[in-house]
Amino acid sequence: MDTLASLLHTSPALAWMVVKVVIVFSAVMLLASVWTWVERRGSAMIQDRIGPNRAALFGRIRIIGLAQLLADGIKFFFKEDLEPHDVNKRLFWLAPFLAFVPAMLGFAVIPFGRDFVSGGHVYHLSVLDPGNGMGMLYPMAIGGLAVYGVLVAAWSSNNKWAILGGMRASAAMVSYEIGMSLAVVSIFMTTGGYDPAQIIAAQGSQPWHWNVVPQFLGFIVFFTCVFAETNRLPFDFAEGESEIVAGFNTEYGSMKFSLLALAEYAHMMTASALVVTLFFGGWQVPFVAHPGVMLSVLSFLVKLLFFAWVFVWIRWTLPRFRYDQMMHLGWKAMLPLSMVNLVVHAWLMSHGR
Amino acid sequence: MGVVVKKVELGWLDRTYVWPVLKGMGITFNHFIKQLFTPTSKRYTIQYPDMKKEMPTGYRGLHELKRFEDGAIKCVACFMCAEACPARCISIEAEEFSDLNFTQGFEEKRPKVFKIDMLRCIYCGMCEEACPKDAIWLRNDYEVAAYDRLSMQFGKWDLMNTYAEADGKARISEDPTPSVPRRVLAM
Ligand code: SF4
Ligand code: SF4
Repeated sequence: MDTLASLLHTSPALAWMVVKVVIVFSAVMLLASVWTWVERRGSAMIQDRIGPNRAALFGRIRIIGLAQLLADGIKFFFKEDLEPHDVNKRLFWLAPFLAFVPAMLGFAVIPFGRDFVSGGHVYHLSVLDPGNGMGMLYPMAIGGLAVYGVLVAAWSSNNKWAILGGMRASAAMVSYEIGMSLAVVSIFMTTGGYDPAQIIAAQGSQPWHWNVVPQFLGFIVFFTCVFAETNRLPFDFAEGESEIVAGFNTEYGSMKFSLLALAEYAHMMTASALVVTLFFGGWQVPFVAHPGVMLSVLSFLVKLLFFAWVFVWIRWTLPRFRYDQMMHLGWKAMLPLSMVNLVVHAWLMSHGR
Repeated sequence: MGVVVKKVELGWLDRTYVWPVLKGMGITFNHFIKQLFTPTSKRYTIQYPDMKKEMPTGYRGLHELKRFEDGAIKCVACFMCAEACPARCISIEAEEFSDLNFTQGFEEKRPKVFKIDMLRCIYCGMCEEACPKDAIWLRNDYEVAAYDRLSMQFGKWDLMNTYAEADGKARISEDPTPSVPRRVLAM
């Protein structure tokens, strides 16, 4: 790191920052695009189909269809960028970025590995160093911004189906946000802080000390709400092929569409990173008290990918809820449950347990 | 008539919604694992250009005009198939041939032109049913496609050779006996 910094005539801190940003964002981008393929192959396997397996590099190297990513990307890139009549042009262009950027930004505070010391410097493996004063509040706030991506896309398309999808999705996101935040608050309480590094350190390396075990209810609530937040089935009200054509992205095509699709997957990655950090001990390796840096990164990655897979898995298990059922679940089940969770933990803490 | 709909009573475990979800996830995971470890040849999906479906006997695919061992066509140009064809896609022109016509005094008939318009054919198998000589069969080849309309007009020799390779027979392109011009004999 020091040699790299001196080569670039910058301070090690700055060089490290740049390296981190590049690594994290390219990794999330890559994972998100790989996950589009995982989703398609996984859903195919779940439904006893085969899925995209024929795309090949140079027509020869088939690598179980992974070239599909490239093919899709290239296809979207070279497609005509249609802009329907009477769209609100500026918002129409802005919406994919509004969807994509918050999805990526949420990742910034999440530690993806152990800190390490080299040459007298402490290097933190998260884009924003711990102690930045925002902590876990930041991804929550940024996650709330994701509503704008969907809603702006829906509004600017000047399409009735799109706006219906957008309205439904934003209603879902807003109503599940409260339950989700309350579930997180009880973690803040038991940890005594809201910095992700603190939360991870408090969970330790024993799997039964991770937050899932003492706060199982909180986990269920949070995980359910995250599905609504990321607009995934069973709560993907932004879409709905059978009801409202394609939903909020009806009018989108080419690269803008692919950006919207990618935003969903980036969101999924961020959401599973949140779940891992809050409830599954982040980069902690089970039963290893002081893991090496590489091991901790690997552990984080494995957990992250597992939860990303659970997103896919649940999507192909459950049918879409009806709108009123979802509202019912959000307000009458998730919110009270997370409140109960909060009160119970507050009571337990007040009795010194 | 009214139908009494029985409402399913859910137990408390089912009403939590968490347990049924887990059960469902178990089912999907089973399918996932099963499909993942099934070899490609045993999956439900047939990977078409690489693998082909075995057609059952009695499948009505591409036609074949049958031939005798010496390569003579079995068809006697009786026009029954053309008559029976609901799509009206068979057109036949007859001709006469015989080795015997001078010794025994009669000719036999065979098609000079036997054309099936595969674009109009509906593969109903009526021609096969109608044929008194079992000369036309619909067999199991379903890959009938071409780049232009003209190559979908299957002629006599195309139809005689459609299954030549599959049956290990030689391709033929001419009749073993020449046709004779219509006899104009002064009786
Ligand atoms: S299969 Fe039916 S449509 Fe086709 S040639 Fe025979 S009779 Fe005509
Ligand atoms: S194929 Fe059969 S039915 Fe058709 S003309 Fe020949 S002999 Fe007659």
